[in-house]
Amino acid sequence: MDEWKPNPAVKPHKKRSWYLAWKYKLMNQRALRKLCQTGAVLFLLVTVIVNIKLILDTRRAAYEEEEESAQDYDDEMLNVEIPRHPVSNKKVLDVEVYSSRSKVYVAVDGTTVLEDEAREQGRGIHVIVLNQATGHVMAKRVFDTYSPHEDEAMVLFLNMVARGRILIFTIKDEGSFHLKDTAKNVLKSLGSQVAPFLSWRDTWTFVGKKGGEVYGEKHAKSPALSTWGDPVLLKTEVHLTSVEDAECHWPDTELNRRRKRFCSKVEGYGSVCSCKDPTPIEFNPDPLKDNKVFDVPVAVIAGNRPNYLYRMLRSLLSAQGVNPQMITVFIDGYYEEPMDVVELFGLSGIQHTPISIKNARVSQHYKASLTATFNLFPDAKFAVVLEEDLDISVDFFSFLSQSIHLLEEDESLYCISAWNDQGYEHTAEDPSLLYRVETMPGLGWVLQKTLYKDELEPKWPTPEKLWDWDMWMRMPEQRKGRECIIPDISRSYHFGIVGLNMNGYFHEAYFKKHKFNTVPNVQLKNVESLRKDAYETEIHRLLGEAEVLDHSKNPCEDSFVPDTEGKVYVMFIRMEQEADFTTWTQLAKCLHIWDLDVRGNHKGLWRLFRKKNHFLVVGVPASPYSSKKPSSVTPIYMEPPAKEEGAVAVPAVAAAEQT
Amino acid sequence: MQKINKNVVLALLSLTSLVFLLFQLYYYKFYLSQKNGAVFSKVRGSQSGQDSTRWHVVRKFLGLISSHNIPVYLIDPLILGLVDKDIEQIRTSPDAPSPECKYFCAPRDFTTFALLDKTWKHEVGLFRTAEKMGFQWLKIINKDPRLDGMDDLSGIEIPLHYIFKLASHAIHLVVFYERSGNYLWHGPLRLKHHMDRKFVPFRKLHFGRYPGAYEKPELLLVSIDDLKVQIPKNPSSFLEEMSHSRFLECRYREARAFFQLYPDDASLDAVEFRKKAKSLLHLAALTLNNLGVKFWLSSGTCLGWYRQCNIIPHSKDVDLGVFIRDYKADIIPAFQKAGLPLKHKFGKVEDSLELSFQGEDDVKLDIFFFYEEDDHVWNGGTQAKSGKKFKYLFPKFTLCWTEFVELKVHVPCETLQYVEANYGPDWKVPVKTWDWKSSPSNVQYNGVWPVNEWDDVIQIY
Repeated sequence: MDEWKPNPAVKPHKKRSWYLAWKYKLMNQRALRKLCQTGAVLFLLVTVIVNIKLILDTRRAAYEEEEESAQDYDDEMLNVEIPRHPVSNKKVLDVEVYSSRSKVYVAVDGTTVLEDEAREQGRGIHVIVLNQATGHVMAKRVFDTYSPHEDEAMVLFLNMVARGRILIFTIKDEGSFHLKDTAKNVLKSLGSQVAPFLSWRDTWTFVGKKGGEVYGEKHAKSPALSTWGDPVLLKTEVHLTSVEDAECHWPDTELNRRRKRFCSKVEGYGSVCSCKDPTPIEFNPDPLKDNKVFDVPVAVIAGNRPNYLYRMLRSLLSAQGVNPQMITVFIDGYYEEPMDVVELFGLSGIQHTPISIKNARVSQHYKASLTATFNLFPDAKFAVVLEEDLDISVDFFSFLSQSIHLLEEDESLYCISAWNDQGYEHTAEDPSLLYRVETMPGLGWVLQKTLYKDELEPKWPTPEKLWDWDMWMRMPEQRKGRECIIPDISRSYHFGIVGLNMNGYFHEAYFKKHKFNTVPNVQLKNVESLRKDAYETEIHRLLGEAEVLDHSKNPCEDSFVPDTEGKVYVMFIRMEQEADFTTWTQLAKCLHIWDLDVRGNHKGLWRLFRKKNHFLVVGVPASPYSSKKPSSVTPIYMEPPAKEEGAVAVPAVAAAEQT
Repeated sequence: MQKINKNVVLALLSLTSLVFLLFQLYYYKFYLSQKNGAVFSKVRGSQSGQDSTRWHVVRKFLGLISSHNIPVYLIDPLILGLVDKDIEQIRTSPDAPSPECKYFCAPRDFTTFALLDKTWKHEVGLFRTAEKMGFQWLKIINKDPRLDGMDDLSGIEIPLHYIFKLASHAIHLVVFYERSGNYLWHGPLRLKHHMDRKFVPFRKLHFGRYPGAYEKPELLLVSIDDLKVQIPKNPSSFLEEMSHSRFLECRYREARAFFQLYPDDASLDAVEFRKKAKSLLHLAALTLNNLGVKFWLSSGTCLGWYRQCNIIPHSKDVDLGVFIRDYKADIIPAFQKAGLPLKHKFGKVEDSLELSFQGEDDVKLDIFFFYEEDDHVWNGGTQAKSGKKFKYLFPKFTLCWTEFVELKVHVPCETLQYVEANYGPDWKVPVKTWDWKSSPSNVQYNGVWPVNEWDDVIQIY
């Protein structure tokens, strides 16, 4: 095409041009004919050339475009989309509910949503909540109403369920022994006719709509004390309502959209889902002035206790100076509901495939969470580590903001913790007071990145070692004599009752009466005197001004400490060497503080409050402060009881709080 | 009669042909301009080939993001190139009104901005406002590479790119993430299957073909073409950085598979060595970067990165490569100043140069200098006692960024070829006994140093 030059002398090849040329041949005016011929041919040729070029260009461009969209920018991963379930337009659900001594199950439209035939667990009343519009399971609970107080929990739960939801009940084994009248009346108000007469080892199934119709109920009486009622199987149909009817009509805001998503999926969170005046999910606490921890990432370590997580995040997001953008919730396992809670609050959550078992699993989860935190916030020098079963004090961040610089400046520090192991209602008094302790309390603490990256991460216990991460961190190889800073009154509160190493009794004995600060903006008073050397000066000053108590009295008795306020008292106990805690353990026991292992000590010294007086305990002669003991005073020795039950419990229980 | 007829026919034919031709020319021009940039250039300054659509779209976009308090900065290489020419003037009179539309009116399909992830909260409100303003938008998300190296964590996917399209112009917003090693990272742009491949001409985007690594830029607020925008304070160095910003992620999955086969050495010695090697590498990187000497992970250190995303605990030293053209005489004093005395120096700048510095507790830092030939590069080795010379050949390579032990460092982009040249096809199998003179598969005997040069080319301290 390029070499072709339009030349008037050459006869055009094209048919049309040839035809014209032939026509003009008939004419006699040669000059005019030739001119016209040339002009026409030129025009036509240029047209043709432009035409061809255009076509070629267009084709090439189209080809390129096709190619570029095909290659290069395609995601290598195919089929990343999750196949959608076909949307069923069914309006009726088939529900099957089975109750018997050893097995319960619930099937909705042929899908088993509950099946429990495990031995020696799952006793009591199983409750399932379905969404009345979609038929999805929104909550699954079991209340062991054979045991006391569980019926109260059930009533609480049922009251929280929104009107219109479908409730399914079934009893496994025994569910009536501690089912009190209040609970029976609630069940009756739901439409159950049998509930008021439920008795020992009856089997029972019930399906109804909260505040509406009853879809079915079946019941079999136990014929005798030693036997169970016959298994019952209830088959019934539930009519679904429209989605609009099942939802509340909150104003359309970003927050309410999150709320709607949450409330259409799960149940049992009470007023957060009420249609009228739902409880807020954004808290906007006052910002902190000069907040030094605003950019410190917060890692929330969670398992599958979504109700705990909900409570925990509420208190965390209400704390002054919180920065929601820095919060990441790490969920150990692919649990949906905790993730729903995280999304409700608009936070980011990360799920972690469980590695190993029991304590080692927790430990691996911790490691992954800490590493991820420092990866996600590469310029962070610290991380705040929290667990899902903690309430966070309103001045938690204020407390950290005032003390965090110490962690960076004082190399003899290991951590800052919000928790005082010995800070019970009757032993903690001063919200502005801080201590240095040789033990690592955990339960809301700050970890320095250099400590983690340089020391802990490289030698973190491997999955096959079934160690507790916190016990490991307390080991001398890791701690290397460094200390933690703690407040007198804890800035976190451990409310978890269900856990790996936790049960109701244990919680009642050791955690329930823990003091928790509720005063905002506490100005800490002795921050600078917490540095290594300054603290010694401070302790010597304290001991110097302290009044020595009457060592002839029984230290367990209330009268051991005079009825004064605001004074400083000191007592001396026997402590032969650094690891001799015989007397201390006995003293801790009778004072009803943490006695399962030694906590809260600093060079053989314990600091607490009794009757609003600062109360110092010095172990003689192991403690360097023994020199303060007047020669006339004989250190108190308390003998352990002959059979020490505590010793057995220690290993299992010591780590309990972390779970 | 017949004659007139024929003339009329001819004239008509010519006219038609002319009209046809004009139409085609117009269409062709239209097509060309569309291909190069804006589709229409009608309103303001159509004579000078300017495109006010672009200017309007950029202005709207800047309004949108400032109404949501999102700090973005301009990284469009074409505009920054223009800006760089006038940078002095722009700096000195940042608020001067501009007489003509100089930067934002060149007809282009898109304008590129950057956004630092941590400076905004991912509010959904932005997109609603954008839609109300008439923007169509596309979000490209993918896995979070900061969690990629970790076993079994499944984070949420993170947004890597946004494209806002209005009329014929698009805004490409690249999201930058801070990563360990004090640098910024942006992800590749990969379309998922359901995405609209024709949303914008993706292939022409300046960012997204590969992931990239950048230093944190200092920003400057300027007013260009009557629009207030933030730009990198030094556009030319940004453009320079951009030209070789390609980033390689470590092969975490393969590394995990490797550790399945050969469990990691978790002994105290290994932990200690890794810690020392890491701090030595950090110190070396700091020293060389301060001198402006470009280096990359070589030999065992490179193998460790490529194979297991970590330092090989039994490797006993840290190996770096430097092109001989980047050699500076200051290197030795700079390292000595940093507390790393010279341990030995083999070869000379013209031939087979190799430097070794003594780190803490027997951990050694080796710097090999690479010599470029037409079809390969090589570095030299010297046996101290015999004066024998060795040559290690490598295929030619370019340099990419990567992250290694919390450090942004270079590695050869063609890492596999590099590692295979050095360690042979069995590089995946750990070897504990390694002889630098015979084990590498790319070693060649290269004669002996003349004895009179020994004092110069074999220096041991």
